[in-house]
Amino acid sequence: MLSLLGGVFLGWSLGSNDASNVFGTAVSSRMLKFWVAAVLASIFVVTGAIVSGQAGIETLKGLTSIRLDQAVISSVAAAVTVTIMTLLGLPVSTSQAVVGAIMGIGILNNQINLGGLGKIVACWVGTPVGAVIVSIPLYYMVAAIYNKLNLNLFRSDSLLRFGLIAAGSYGAYALGANNVANVTAVFVGAGLITIFFATLIGGASIALGILTFSRPVMETVGKKLVNLDPFSAFVVILAEAITVHIYTIIGVPVSTSQAVVGAVIGIGIVKGVNTVSKKTLKNILMAWFLTPIVSCFLALVIDFAYNLHYIPPQ
Amino acid sequence: MNENKVAAMFDFLFKKEHRVETLIFEYMDTLKLIQESFLDAINACLEDEDHKCEDFEFLITQTHKHESRADDIRDEINNLMYSKALIPDSRGDIMRLIESIDMIPHFFERILFIMQTQRVSIPDFLVLDVKDLIRISLESCDLLSKQMALHLKQKLGIRSLLSIIDTNESHCDHIERRIITKIFDSDLDPFVKLQLKELIITMGGISDQADRVSKQINIISMKRRV
Repeated sequence: MLSLLGGVFLGWSLGSNDASNVFGTAVSSRMLKFWVAAVLASIFVVTGAIVSGQAGIETLKGLTSIRLDQAVISSVAAAVTVTIMTLLGLPVSTSQAVVGAIMGIGILNNQINLGGLGKIVACWVGTPVGAVIVSIPLYYMVAAIYNKLNLNLFRSDSLLRFGLIAAGSYGAYALGANNVANVTAVFVGAGLITIFFATLIGGASIALGILTFSRPVMETVGKKLVNLDPFSAFVVILAEAITVHIYTIIGVPVSTSQAVVGAVIGIGIVKGVNTVSKKTLKNILMAWFLTPIVSCFLALVIDFAYNLHYIPPQ
Repeated sequence: MNENKVAAMFDFLFKKEHRVETLIFEYMDTLKLIQESFLDAINACLEDEDHKCEDFEFLITQTHKHESRADDIRDEINNLMYSKALIPDSRGDIMRLIESIDMIPHFFERILFIMQTQRVSIPDFLVLDVKDLIRISLESCDLLSKQMALHLKQKLGIRSLLSIIDTNESHCDHIERRIITKIFDSDLDPFVKLQLKELIITMGGISDQADRVSKQINIISMKRRV
């Protein structure tokens, strides 16, 4: 069971980083207390992982055959990649790091499911694009309902605040359902644990990250979205959650950060303003290429180091 | 689903917001009381041919009392805002709006204090114009209260009230200029002329401030549309 620690570490870092994508706006703008957000996010992440996390695990474990030691190596390689890139301030996606590491092991085993890989890469590109496509009609639809209700300032504020909490909870559900595969799929592939246990451990480790270390990220990263008006911020979070949920049904772990950026671009298109800088778009492109490559390379290096044997001089 | 049903669904969750709403309406009611005391005080002097202003002191105290009550309500609204009532956007809007409206009672008090402390009395040849100036300024304040209520209840008609308040403000500017010209064309003592000029400019400030607040309400209301 100690082998699972690499996965737990990865889940912890994922939870501490990605919770800001669902509750960052509400917390950094002080609409919601951090602890309320953290507890809600944790409950919904675990629920999402257990209820809808199986499909992603099936996809990742089907990428290549993997032994237990290789599962640990890929998990550690992904976690180290995420940590290094975060420390260097480079854009990073846990999903892309995990897939890169599994590919590294697949190269060593000379066995890669190219069909599965193609589906995953297509979904990576499709994440921000999908979020743009979801956010535009969603904005018009929700705006039509909102305008029809014709609520006064106080009722409208109450409704928006409630909406942000509901959308954040749904986002947390989608995060758990979609990203739990990143944390424990390799251990299922290696035959160490069952899918149900994987969703439970994975969800719990993401929740642990949210409860113990997401506060600074939530309070700083969330501010990027606060520049949007509260209604747009609500639509962004809802669009992100729907997009990630769709990919959960397809069974591919994707980046919630990239879904958020896509949704923000969508709102920009609706409002006719430039909401996302070229630098952010460049960061997404870099994450697509750099993260899996670094992670794959690290998996190869760690596996090589692990298999070095001391041969005493004859 | 109508507004009331939606409101009922969320009211139990957002008690602070409900309290802010009640307090703002309470503030606007107090503003009306300040206005009435102010008008009574001004009339006590303008309509007194002997310029003894008999009830003036009492009415100033009344105005001050209502003004202090308005300040207390404003402080309570601000405290609720600092304790995270409403979403940040609305929080800032409401605080700035109340701050701007609160300038109006300050104008009322300042006018009465100038008349009280500097012993300024309005000469007979200016009484009609000053009454006109006060009447139109207070009409703007009444319209402003209506506009605020429309904004808070999300009803139509904000822009038409904005237009009337704007017209009133231009009208007041004309009257203000006319009065000042009359003051300096008169044989009054130069020192009294300066005192009167200060008083009239302060009176003119009421409609200017009402116009500023009215525009602010219009912008906030437009900003909230999605």
